[in-house]
Amino acid sequence: MNTFLKYSSSALLLGLGLLGCQPEMHSPKYDAGTADFSKYIAVGNSLTAGFSDGGLYLEGQVYSYPKILSEQFANVGGGAFPQAYFSDAQSNGSGYLRLVGFTTPAPPDEPSPITANVTTNLAVRGVVNTRTNPALPVYTRVAATDVFNNYGVPGIRMADVETAGYGNASSTGGTFLNPTPIFNPYFERLLPANTNDTYRARVVATNPTFFTYWLGNNDVLGYATSGGVSPITATSTFSDINSRFIDDLTARGAKGLVSTIPDVTTIPFFTTVGPTFRRTLTRNNVPGIVITTGAFSLTAPITRRSIPTTDIKDPALGGNQLFTLTAAPYLPLFGRPGGKAWRDVFAQLRPNLPPGTPLSAFLLSQGIDTLQVFGASAGNPIPTTLVLDDAEQGVARTATNEYNNALRTKAAAKGLALFDSNTFFSGVAQNGFAANGVTNTASFITGNLFSLDGVHPTPRGYAVIANEMIKAINAQYSASIPFVNPNAYRGVRIP
Amino acid sequence: MNLKQLLLAGGALLGTAAAQAGGFQVTLAGQKNNGMGGVGTGLALDQASMFYNPGALAMVRERGVQIGVNATMARQAFRPQYAQYGFDRELDNTVTTPFNVYAGFGPTEGKWRAGIAVYTPFGSKLDYGYNWEGRFALTEIDLKSIFVQPTVSYAITDKLSVGAGLVVFAYGAVNLQRDIPVQNATDGQYGHIELDGKADQKIGYNVGVYYKPLDKLSIGLSYRSHIDAHVQGGDVTFSNLPNSAVVASRFTATKFDVTLPLPATANLGIGVMPSEKLTIGFDVNYAQWSKYKQLEFTFDQPVNGSNTSSSIRDYKNSFTFRLGGQYKVTDAFTVRLGGSFDQSPVKDGYVTPETPDANRLGATAGLSYKFGEHFGVDLSTQFISIKKRTQTQDELVANGTTDRVAGTYKTNIVIPGIGLNYTF
Repeated sequence: MNTFLKYSSSALLLGLGLLGCQPEMHSPKYDAGTADFSKYIAVGNSLTAGFSDGGLYLEGQVYSYPKILSEQFANVGGGAFPQAYFSDAQSNGSGYLRLVGFTTPAPPDEPSPITANVTTNLAVRGVVNTRTNPALPVYTRVAATDVFNNYGVPGIRMADVETAGYGNASSTGGTFLNPTPIFNPYFERLLPANTNDTYRARVVATNPTFFTYWLGNNDVLGYATSGGVSPITATSTFSDINSRFIDDLTARGAKGLVSTIPDVTTIPFFTTVGPTFRRTLTRNNVPGIVITTGAFSLTAPITRRSIPTTDIKDPALGGNQLFTLTAAPYLPLFGRPGGKAWRDVFAQLRPNLPPGTPLSAFLLSQGIDTLQVFGASAGNPIPTTLVLDDAEQGVARTATNEYNNALRTKAAAKGLALFDSNTFFSGVAQNGFAANGVTNTASFITGNLFSLDGVHPTPRGYAVIANEMIKAINAQYSASIPFVNPNAYRGVRIP
Repeated sequence: MNLKQLLLAGGALLGTAAAQAGGFQVTLAGQKNNGMGGVGTGLALDQASMFYNPGALAMVRERGVQIGVNATMARQAFRPQYAQYGFDRELDNTVTTPFNVYAGFGPTEGKWRAGIAVYTPFGSKLDYGYNWEGRFALTEIDLKSIFVQPTVSYAITDKLSVGAGLVVFAYGAVNLQRDIPVQNATDGQYGHIELDGKADQKIGYNVGVYYKPLDKLSIGLSYRSHIDAHVQGGDVTFSNLPNSAVVASRFTATKFDVTLPLPATANLGIGVMPSEKLTIGFDVNYAQWSKYKQLEFTFDQPVNGSNTSSSIRDYKNSFTFRLGGQYKVTDAFTVRLGGSFDQSPVKDGYVTPETPDANRLGATAGLSYKFGEHFGVDLSTQFISIKKRTQTQDELVANGTTDRVAGTYKTNIVIPGIGLNYTF
């Protein structure tokens, strides 16, 4: 019996001892590699600022990809990363879109999302009368003593970074006959009043040890989202400015990451409305539609183009022609006489028309007769601003590829990390992006990566971008910076 | 059906979403065997032969009743590739208590033996911490099963005996839960789905032959058949989904069906008795896991717009090697040692959170003490180390298995157990 007790107690002890065996995994070694993250500066446009849901507001700033990156850089010696936040009282910033519900049409018509503008708690401090906008909002300016590391400026193009007065509210654009640059209110809020410093000069003066650089989207995006109406930046201009900017940033040995520009034609802004419109036309046996294409001219009517219904792009069925998200309110008016679409085009274009041009003169110059049926007649075609046709897509794609070549070449010459967002987002458009058991896609609303404006990412989309940048940085600088869990950041919240 | 299979199987049930936790592949059907690395096919130790090799039952000298219970205590660490906070996750610890009961009868000197066995080849309960990275694959799993096996065995000669058992999958229950990646605007919560169902009763068999050509050598072969665990009309419950009709219309399922193949196992065992006091056993088990291609749930109404949900498994057949021995210190007192190597049926890049499987190494120890003629106590303990295993998101994408989580898993399991037996 004694023997039994002795043996059994040692067996029990053995068992209990083993109970403590929580498996150990050696702590991961995070390492900055050959990079120095002590002062990280983010260079870029709306994507860098954290723009989302058609506006810049506090939540978007908090979940900007530079902010997410800085939190991961903190594991490898990264410093503080202050941003030019809107205050809590003005947390809605410029205002933004929120999803309030869905329409409930009788089938087979499909439900579509209903959005509303958030107009309270804005950071708008007033309006400025410019050449193109009689009431351009300006925003609460950061305090002169504020330091911030995120230089994301919504709307900025590569073509703007060397423009003096780009952040000075007195740059109102001159006159129709003698136009001059117009200031950017998002840059203006970052500068002291009446400062003519260029964007490039302000950024370079921060003297970063590490930077991310994602510029150039707006040089082609404006052209694309306006249906080919707004100008596109010449490749040589883009390439020269880009080269000078990166030379300056790296002159004192800073390391960094350069991002290419995604193909804009795969974003929900261009892929959401067309397939629905095509289904509706097919159901009603409409063989084709009439659109307009190209830029407006004051001397000749805009070019008409007849498009077979089957040429409207649907990923499952083929076709080539894309409709913008902004076309959604107009397409239900198809097949009926009416002038809403063209009245709105006129209102949009007015700042670019000779002062005092009446609507009737504009319609006459373009050969528009709103008594004809909308969308199905040459007299009342679908405005070019709502369609990105294959010719315009070709122009956008060519420019994007040329810009990207310039960006890649320069990044390689300077030994910088490269996030090829063009390749990455093409993959997302094809297959979605899976992490931690969830496949997020490039679909509007349900995909969770793109916000309600169909162009800018959600916080989750920005987290995915941050991960891809970390991957590129780790590879280029032999660093090991941990990823984030993208699913911990919100996608689109559904009412 | 051994514990390992059931546990793995259970994990599989979690499936679609499912996730993780408990594919703890441990054979715990007899307390003496548990102390000897799980050998038993080539031995006639006690009534647990009904499980390990029904053919050996007729060669078990005593008749008797025995019960055993084990506490499976798993400790798991997980480091996600895409981590939320950049440190390791630990599973909320749970303990399961597989048990076994055997009663064997027969004439004292006759050639027949009969018996009945009851065992719980799996019982897995796993609860992932709040907001863990794999929440959209699995948040909780609770699996229970009870198998009943009436058995007969006949000694054709002094050296050769055969036996068979009817394996009745008498009771099985599953509860799986996970979050749905749809976030409602009211309070920012994610949707949640719970699948709860009972398995149909099913029947399989367990047959074996036992041959003892020499006093010092015995050989056994046994085969346990495949059983499909099938849940029909289990309940589907959603919570926290957005109110919009456009979403609600995509999540209207109320019932689910699922089938999980529990594979056949072929076993070969050799026993060596160099002396009266020492017995050594060696077992090889071959589990035909390759039938487990995918886990497919079908629903009566849509779940996220689809009436089915399929998740790739593509398991491969796997071997387990076991070695163990016992030494009779005195007539009343016996000590045991053993070890096992268990090949994982889960291929690289296919690891699911409910079954974070990898090759396993086991070390076991045990002892028995007899109080007089009839009554004995068996103690055993097993330590199972599941090898650290990493899968990357790139592997998951390449395999089409992105419904699970990329990262590194490591699990240790400790299983102390106690058995009581009364022989006559």
